[in-house]
Formats: sequence, C-alpha cells, structure tokens
Amino acid sequence: MRRALFQAAWLVRAALRGLRASAITSGIAVATLAVVLVLVGTFLLVIANMNLLLERVGSDLHVTAYLEESLSADTRRELARRVADLGGVHAVEIVSKEEALRRFAERSGGAALLEGLEENPLPASLEVRLAPERRSAEDVRAVSEALAGMDGVEELGSSQQWVEGYARARRLVRGLGFGLGAVLGLATLLIVANTIRLTLHARRDELEILSLVGASRIFLRVPFLIEGVLQGMAAGVLALALLYGLFHLAVPQLGDGLELFLGWKDPVFLSLRDALGLLAAGAGLGVVGAAAALAGERLP
Amino acid sequence: MNRLGADAAPARGDALIRLFHVSKSYQAGTYALHDVSLEVGKGEMVFLTGPSGAGKTTLLELLFAAERPSEGQILVLGRNVAVLREHAIPALRRRVGVVFQDFKLLPRRTVEENVALALQVLGTPTREVRSRTFAMLKRVGLQHRRHHHPPSLSGGEQQRIALARALVNDPEILLADEPTGNLDPELTLEITDMIAAQAARGTTVLVATHDLGLVRRYRKRTLRLESGRLEEDVPAGAWRA
Repeated sequence: MRRALFQAAWLVRAALRGLRASAITSGIAVATLAVVLVLVGTFLLVIANMNLLLERVGSDLHVTAYLEESLSADTRRELARRVADLGGVHAVEIVSKEEALRRFAERSGGAALLEGLEENPLPASLEVRLAPERRSAEDVRAVSEALAGMDGVEELGSSQQWVEGYARARRLVRGLGFGLGAVLGLATLLIVANTIRLTLHARRDELEILSLVGASRIFLRVPFLIEGVLQGMAAGVLALALLYGLFHLAVPQLGDGLELFLGWKDPVFLSLRDALGLLAAGAGLGVVGAAAALAGERLP
Repeated sequence: MNRLGADAAPARGDALIRLFHVSKSYQAGTYALHDVSLEVGKGEMVFLTGPSGAGKTTLLELLFAAERPSEGQILVLGRNVAVLREHAIPALRRRVGVVFQDFKLLPRRTVEENVALALQVLGTPTREVRSRTFAMLKRVGLQHRRHHHPPSLSGGEQQRIALARALVNDPEILLADEPTGNLDPELTLEITDMIAAQAARGTTVLVATHDLGLVRRYRKRTLRLESGRLEEDVPAGAWRA
C-alpha cells in the first residue's frame, strides 16, 4: 500500500514534469479544449435558462376564458363556480374589466397604448389555474373544451401553445449543442491525442530507460493518462472562468434581446452540477485523447 | 584453455544464467548468435570477448529480454526468457542491472535523479530512495556531483552514474556492455575495479569487452564469441599476466 502511494506520487510528478517539458504544445491543446468547452458551456447556459423559464411558466400555466360583455356579476360568479367544479381545475379567479385594464397598464408600454381611449376595451375574464399534476397538454385541452361549451364564454386563451413551441425550441437548442459538442469534441480529441503523441516521442529515451530499469507497462503509460486528465481539467477551469466573465459582461449589454430569446432579463449562471459536468467533460476528453495516443504507439 | 564444441556447457549447480543451444537470427540464414550453450554461476565474474559483430551485445540483450531467442532456451534467475510474457519482463529487469556503452542517461535529470529512477519504479519510499542513492553515489565517488546534469560531466563520470543506477537496487545479475569502451586506461581500470568489487559482493557479472588487455589483467573466466558462435570458454586465472 505504502509503495503504491509512492509510485502514485511519482507518476503524478512525472506527468507534471511532462507538461512542463512540453509547455507550448500542452498550452495549445488546453486552449483548444477550452474553446470547445466554452461553446458547449454556452449551450448549457442557454438550455439551463430555458429550463428555468419553462418551469416558471409551467407553474403559472392557466386558461383564460374571456366573458361576454352582457354577463352580470352574479352570472360571472355562478359561471366561476361551475368552472371550479371541472376536473383538474385548481382555482378560478374572476378578473373584472377594471382589473384587466389595471394589469394591462402595469405592463411595459401598456399605459402609453391606453392613452386617448375613452372607454375600457378589455373584457372581463375567468383565469382558470390547473392543479400541478394536471398541467399536461391533454388536461389543458380538456378544460378548454369544457369552457368553450359554456354559455357566456366568448373566447379562450392559453399559454399552452407558447409553452409547447418553447419546449420545441429548447429541444432544438439542446440537439444543436450536443451535435456541435460531439463534432468539436472529436476534433479536440484528435488534437489532445496528437499533443500526447508528440510528448511521447519527445520522451522516448526516458521511456526506454525506465523500461530497462524495470518499469511496468502501466508505470510507463499512466503519466500520459494523467497528463490528459490535467490538460482537460485545466481547459475546464479556463472555460468556466471565460464563461463566467463573458456571462457577466454580456448579460447587461444584451438586456431586451435576452428577454426576447429567453423570455426574461435575469438569466442565471451554470449550476454547480453543470459546472462540474463541464470539468468532467474536459477531463474525459483529455484522458480519452491520451488513451488514443497510447493505443496508436508502441512503447518500449 | 578450454576449446568448446557446440554442446559443451560446464555444469554449475548454482547457475543464475543458463543458455541451451541458443540462436538468434534477425534475417533468415544469418545468425547473430548460433547454438550457444553456457552457464554462469552465482557471484561469478565473466568477460565476454570477441570482435565487433561477434554477438556480445546480442547475448546480453537476450539476458535482459530486450530480444528473444530464435531457437533454444534461456534461464535467467530461474525464469525462461524465451517464453517470458511481456508483463513479466519488468520483474526480471528489476533483478538485473545493465550498464550500456552509451550510458543511456537522461540529460535533463540530475545525477541523483538518474540513479534514483531504478528505485522509484519499485515504489521505494522517498526517504529511502534518497539515502540509498546517496550511498551508491558515494560508493562510485560522485556524491559531490549529485545535483549536476550528466552532459556537464566527463565520460568516466557518466559511466560511473550508469553503474550506480545499475547497482542501486542491489541486482542479482550485472550486465555491462563495453562499459569502458569510451574511457582512457586509468578510468577503464577504475570502472572495472568497481564492477569486480560488485562480483565479490555476490553479484553475478557479465562484462562484454573487446579489450583483451583488460581481460588478461583481471584473469576472470572469459567467453570468446566469434561470428555468433561460442569459440572458447577460458576459466578464471588461465590467462597469463
């Protein structure tokens, strides 16, 4: 056990020595790997924020039943009671014409649009919230159909279509991210493999001597695998630092554009799990690249 | 002197090295070694002589499994090198020290680091590596040079580093390929004295050399190779001074 620890320490030192000896080529490999991880990290950021938005919208999912002008307050209340009894409905809120006007005025630019209007053009409505476990497309459709058949309901509105479209966009971004990540990852793998191969050739004499004094095959190979892992992790840290810097530089500048694309102005940075995942991806690419280099070479 | 036939191989009960009709061929029909049989006992020092191309280096390479025989069997420390699996070679090499004519030192590592390599691959604790390396360098008279790099040292000093590396883990067999080939007469004697001292400590030693003056001076058992064949096996003390 003690000997194994000393051997492990020696192997790590050998890997660090190898990195120092080929600082320029290793640096290029780390930089290339970092660029790929920044791209993959950007997709992760977008997807993570789209997920958050979907969760937020999902919890606010409701169907709006716009009511006919002629309905009295009592009839509206009666209608609301009937709607509340429908399966899957969690709560029903009556929104009067006045309340609808107030809410519209609070929205950005809403007050300006209302200037000059002599009477309130907005209808009264019922906001129907679904129970959390009944927020699927089928449930929304069923409640909408039931509402459409009720007297006094003029028109229906729901955020369901928007949610479905947004989810499709998220799937597209995720697919693009994976596709681009896979292609760039493969290219980077080749770069890391070639870097390790160059290091391997530069240290052939050392490997021969180590072999002659009784170093095992594992002992000869492990430092290169450690080099791959260290390069990958260094690239991961660099990529995270770059992403963090870019994120905090870009978010205030993009403002409205982000609201249009993501649906909100205050996106969040990668979670700890995503950040560790990015580091692990870097380390994984590094070690696989190193293993590929070793597989293609005949060591002493 | 004892002239040998192809089948002659002196029987030694405590032999650490045994060759049985060993041949090595790199090209069909051309032999670097041809039908060589011999035994070398524990603690014995043997010179391997012959002109360039006689097969001295090939014979040594077969003994530490850098090459495999084309025919015959080789027993080194009880292991059959002819059929030894790749993963078992390192274990054999840890028991066999090798000194090369071209030293095979790492130029960017210090003298101390070069010698320590042989212990580090075994997972020897750092403190023990330091003390044993220092003791070994002291034995070859280079303790004051331990922080230098090999290219800044003389040929004799580099050969002493190579010898120190070969001996630092106390091998049972020492193989030296022309260890004095590039050295002046004074350094030649210095290095050979160190090798002979190691044999006196119980290590089996094989030294390949074409320097017959050296062979006569030390009067050790001598094997003469020519064109890959073992032509003579001269017992210790049979050379005239």
